[in-house]
Amino acid sequence: MRSILKYILLSAIRDRLYIGLFITLAASFSLAIFLGSSALVERQEMTASFIAGSSRVVLAIGMILFVCLNINRAFENKEVEFIISKSISREKFIFGYLAGFILATLFIFIPLNIAIFLLAKANIFGLFIWSLSLFLELIILISFSLLSSLILKNSFSAIMASFGFYIISRMMGVFVLAISIPDSIDALNKNNILQVVLKFMSAIFPRLDLFAQSKWLNYGFDNMLVLQIILTQSAIYIALMLFMAFHDFKKKQF
Amino acid sequence: MTKEIFFHLNSHKIFFWLFIVTFLLQISFWQGSSKNYKADLEIVPPAPNKILRSALSLGDEEFLFRILGTRLQNSGDVFAGFVALKKYNYQRIYDWMKALDDLNYESNFIPSLASYYYSQTQNRADSRYIINYLDEHASRDIDKKWWWMFQAVFVAKKSLQDNDLSYKLAYKLSKNKAEDAPLITRQLPAFISKQNGDDCMSFRILTELFKDVQSGKQKARVDEINYMRFYINERLKSLKEKNFNPKKCLNLN
Repeated sequence: MRSILKYILLSAIRDRLYIGLFITLAASFSLAIFLGSSALVERQEMTASFIAGSSRVVLAIGMILFVCLNINRAFENKEVEFIISKSISREKFIFGYLAGFILATLFIFIPLNIAIFLLAKANIFGLFIWSLSLFLELIILISFSLLSSLILKNSFSAIMASFGFYIISRMMGVFVLAISIPDSIDALNKNNILQVVLKFMSAIFPRLDLFAQSKWLNYGFDNMLVLQIILTQSAIYIALMLFMAFHDFKKKQF
Repeated sequence: MTKEIFFHLNSHKIFFWLFIVTFLLQISFWQGSSKNYKADLEIVPPAPNKILRSALSLGDEEFLFRILGTRLQNSGDVFAGFVALKKYNYQRIYDWMKALDDLNYESNFIPSLASYYYSQTQNRADSRYIINYLDEHASRDIDKKWWWMFQAVFVAKKSLQDNDLSYKLAYKLSKNKAEDAPLITRQLPAFISKQNGDDCMSFRILTELFKDVQSGKQKARVDEINYMRFYINERLKSLKEKNFNPKKCLNLN
């Protein structure tokens, strides 16, 4: 288990994950500060929102690419066969990989939060909740990318599936809005199929649109119901992804 | 010579001429159609609707608010200098401001843009859109947003020069109960009605406010109380000069 963790961290350095993310985040921070300082008023709030929004996108894209390409390479180089030929259960293998990816994320996530705290001068409690929810969002994303890389044969399909999952989950708010369109408007179209499809999707996909909202950095956080939803949703969804990965990997024949 | 051998021997020439023909086709195509498909550099495009805003935000409405706010602030920058405000479509500016208020009402960014930038339009009639926006924005929570109603009064008085409208807005402003609002926010209807030539109304408003100060309902500093005394005395003099009984003003309802 420990060797898997070390291996993932080593491959993060070897794949230049940290340098790549650092350069992209530095560029997005610079752009955020520039745009923030050009605002007529509320420059601090402007900068905080741009930093929060852009770093969320950068981290999500970075982790999807890293997980999918890493797993794919492990299969192609027969590293997976090599590892499971040792005295390690398949569950431990999956769990080790997931823990490794989470640990790799933490190494960039902690300095990122310190930088946001120093640069954006955000509300402390708001920043704490924002960080917590972004971290949980990334774990959900990593779990899905891990699962899609195990199920799908090539890295391109896994990456596209993970991006699709992320965008749909982030757009769940729109789908819920579309479902709740008043009956008077709906009667004009009677498009019940779309409503059923959207309802079905909203039950399957997580509501990532509720996670990591940059307004918490500017105005603080006071909606404990949202926090409750985030924590419950994360606990259920990460477990769901993990069990699906266990099931799929158990059936795999090498 | 069979077809295959001919093609094999001349294929490089055939592809060269095909390249030249397609290259000329490309140039002639855009020569003919570029007049009809020019880049659309609108100063202010239509405001995004609710569904589009929700889809674009990907759950982070604050992030989208700041992006669109920056877009609204910089509209008119068309890469060839800046456009005069009189050329802007103020109906669309109003729509954008309302749309952005839906994303974030707490922020003072959009009312600041409206008051300090877009109100400077050379086309006086366009100020009405700005006044309407500021009025609607401030009326949602006058105790918290009284400053923007004050700005609406200022724009109505100075830019639009509509005394009736500025009085109506000043009256709305006077109803605020904010602790941080200065006394002038309650006195403003009196000052405007005085400017409109209605000494009676001005006298009445200030007298009622003075009574509130004396009874402790309204807090005021000593200099503010002294100023009110001076103002009431001035109005009394003015009414007496016009041979009008000031008591009649106080009975108006």
